[in-house]
Amino acid sequence: MSTLHLVRQSAFATNDFAQCLSVLDHQDSIVLMDDGCYNLKHSLMDSLIKRVDGTLSINVITSHAQARALEILASVQHIEMSDVVELTFNHTKVITWQ
Amino acid sequence: MTSSYTEEKSDLSSNNGLAIINSKAPFSSNNGKDALDIALIFGSFEQKVSLFFQGDGVYQLIADQDGRLVSIKDYLKTFSAFEFYDIEDIYVCQQSLVNRQLDEKFHIDDVQVLPSVEFSSALNRHQHVLRF
Repeated sequence: MSTLHLVRQSAFATNDFAQCLSVLDHQDSIVLMDDGCYNLKHSLMDSLIKRVDGTLSINVITSHAQARALEILASVQHIEMSDVVELTFNHTKVITWQ
Repeated sequence: MTSSYTEEKSDLSSNNGLAIINSKAPFSSNNGKDALDIALIFGSFEQKVSLFFQGDGVYQLIADQDGRLVSIKDYLKTFSAFEFYDIEDIYVCQQSLVNRQLDEKFHIDDVQVLPSVEFSSALNRHQHVLRF
């Protein structure tokens, strides 16, 4: 059982991202999209990156991050919206945090 | 005597102005665009407007953004028209920038970055406040 987490809110404004991380499992994937891209610079992100053990993947929609002038982190995979379709098929369920 | 009168007068005019607080990120809601419209309307009627950027609102000022990448008409470019509407008092909360690890690199000039105490006292000088 794996879950795809779509994070769409800034952790600086809401605690959605914190809630997401609290239920995160080993084989899950995270996609940062829309205002969720701002979380790249949040302290929660630093602790998450330390937790990443190879099975858990963190992704960000390239165009959404670029539109917001956010710099690209090496530890995060850059994907397009079309890749999200494939991700939804590769996971048993999807949770949208918005 | 004259100088104290001028000082008092300028204090009085800032008391009567409108403050607009921007607290939302630019692309996921209409708040930023609505605040901009109100600011420009007040400006075109020669009403004194001050702009405050706090919380996620500070993202509206960050340089090198491009709304077209997310299919949004980039209203942020209109910020450069502020000087033509005599909107000169633009304040940014320094703490909000620090929390978000943002540099003081903005897409408009003459932005004043203020620490929390000065930011709140600048806001408290205004009689009317709208928050978006």
